[in-house]
Amino acid sequence: MEFDLENPFTKDLQHSLFAMESDHLPLSNSDLDSDHDIRRQIISFISSFSQKLHHPFVSYLAINYLHRFLASHSIPGEKPWILKLVAVSCVSLAFKMIGADSGLSDVQKDGELMFDFRMVERMEFLVLGALQWRMRSITPFAFIRFFVSFFKLKATSLHSDDADHHHHQVLKDRATEIIYKAQIESKLLEFKPSIVAASALLCASHELYPLQFPFFKNSISSCSYVNEDDFSKCYSEIQELVLDGYESMLSCKTPINVLDLDYSSSEDTHNKTAPSAEEKKGLKRLKISTFSKSPFQLS
Amino acid sequence: MEDKYEKLEKVGEGTYGKVYKAKDIQTGQLVALKKTRLEMDEEGIPPTALREISLLQMLSNSIYIVRLITVEHIHHNGKPLLYLVFEYLDTDLKKFIDSHRKGPNPSPLPPSQIQSFLFQLCKGVAHCHGHGVLHRDLKPQNLLVDKEKGILKIADLGLGRAFTVPLKSYTHEIVTLWYRAPEVLLGSTHYSTGVDMWSVGCIFAEMARRQALFPGDSEFQQLLHIFRLLGTPTEEQWPGVSSLRDWHVYPRWEAQNLARAVPSLGPDGVDLLSKMLQYDPADRISAKAAMDHPYFDTLDKSQF
Repeated sequence: MEFDLENPFTKDLQHSLFAMESDHLPLSNSDLDSDHDIRRQIISFISSFSQKLHHPFVSYLAINYLHRFLASHSIPGEKPWILKLVAVSCVSLAFKMIGADSGLSDVQKDGELMFDFRMVERMEFLVLGALQWRMRSITPFAFIRFFVSFFKLKATSLHSDDADHHHHQVLKDRATEIIYKAQIESKLLEFKPSIVAASALLCASHELYPLQFPFFKNSISSCSYVNEDDFSKCYSEIQELVLDGYESMLSCKTPINVLDLDYSSSEDTHNKTAPSAEEKKGLKRLKISTFSKSPFQLS
Repeated sequence: MEDKYEKLEKVGEGTYGKVYKAKDIQTGQLVALKKTRLEMDEEGIPPTALREISLLQMLSNSIYIVRLITVEHIHHNGKPLLYLVFEYLDTDLKKFIDSHRKGPNPSPLPPSQIQSFLFQLCKGVAHCHGHGVLHRDLKPQNLLVDKEKGILKIADLGLGRAFTVPLKSYTHEIVTLWYRAPEVLLGSTHYSTGVDMWSVGCIFAEMARRQALFPGDSEFQQLLHIFRLLGTPTEEQWPGVSSLRDWHVYPRWEAQNLARAVPSLGPDGVDLLSKMLQYDPADRISAKAAMDHPYFDTLDKSQF
């Protein structure tokens, strides 16, 4: 069964989603990590590898695997090829999970550095082991539909179901962009995917439907699955991230070449932001702190 | 692999390969090792295997599904092999029923035991169906039993697509047809959760009878067994049945009294069984609805 980030269980199982999301947190009990540069570099490789695949969500899922992998393994930074190998393996796994029947050759095509498939296979197994084969990640995308349904235009306004549907789609698209940005912000790694989804949607409503914002905020806060404290903390982080994006767009006109983020917009819900300053900025904000991890070994 | 697990004995030739009882050398925990015959190619781990195993991993968070502890990847004579490491349970429902039929002092399964096992089976099946997964090969051999704790768990799950269901098992023993739903036997390709509920019904009856309800030895014989007890299906009962691929003209049998086939079951049990053995898959009771059936009213559900 192919894997769909918006619908990981193929059937609506809202309760299971909320119950299981904690198993999919990258940094469940650990501090934020010390691999700032390494993480940044691998993310950059992942972005450039998945760019060739023209498949929405591949890079998101691959980066999700990376965050979870780094929570239990540290990678020696002095060998750049290892970083590429980790990136190729995460992209290859994500590509296969999302429904591709091939992996490696597509991921590596036109690449200047080609890894032997045995080597990638070994790395794939290392990642699989670290993630305990929980590859059907529960991500914020799985909760978008649930939370967007809390959004209503005023009952008095003249609108049809079609119009509601349209507003939901608009919110969903903007929240999707925000979720992509939030993925590389290390401060947000500690929040549950559902909280990130709710915060991204609320942030989108603040930008797009300011009049409905207070009501939307209240309905989400009163949802039994939502921890109000976490929600409010996560919302301010995301809000800051989004505002930072605007500021840096205004102040910085130079093209970004760190990430080369270029998401394809093949489907309506998946049109991503153009390569922007936010991502770069987001990466810079990855915090450095120290904690011990099991050593990384390729044997 | 050898330094991690000590193989104790071969416990079965599963549909997909040999199954070993083994001991985790470090923890002493007993496990079931299943070797998969996985074709690795130049693309790393095959996508289907990746998707199926991660699905299995996700489903095995229910205590009514045999838990996948880990996956071991080894190279044997240069060929990559995958071992699935499952929790070990000492018996299965087939052996359990056999022990009540053949053992030194044969006796029926206690009604409360049947009730409890069936409830756990429905719970496990509901869990799979809720996640969009069909088992497609439910049978007593695939239901593992912890006799001490009275727990029943579904095994051999989710490998259907990655490992392709063979017509003959690894040992060339013919895959049993006894639990196969009529729509599958009649060549329907669009089957759904109903196929598992049919199997659950057959297993329910078998616990009560201590022998199989429909022991056919060919697909045709299997259908005749079903038709003789439940009556030959009609278009009124099951719209579209006569257009199924393998439908033929059959003798027109009348439905027998189902209660006579399962004399030890009370009226509620017979009613639930009849709802599981509805011909039209759309009329068949779902696993979730079955759990709310009056048959389970006398069961203390809080323990599950």
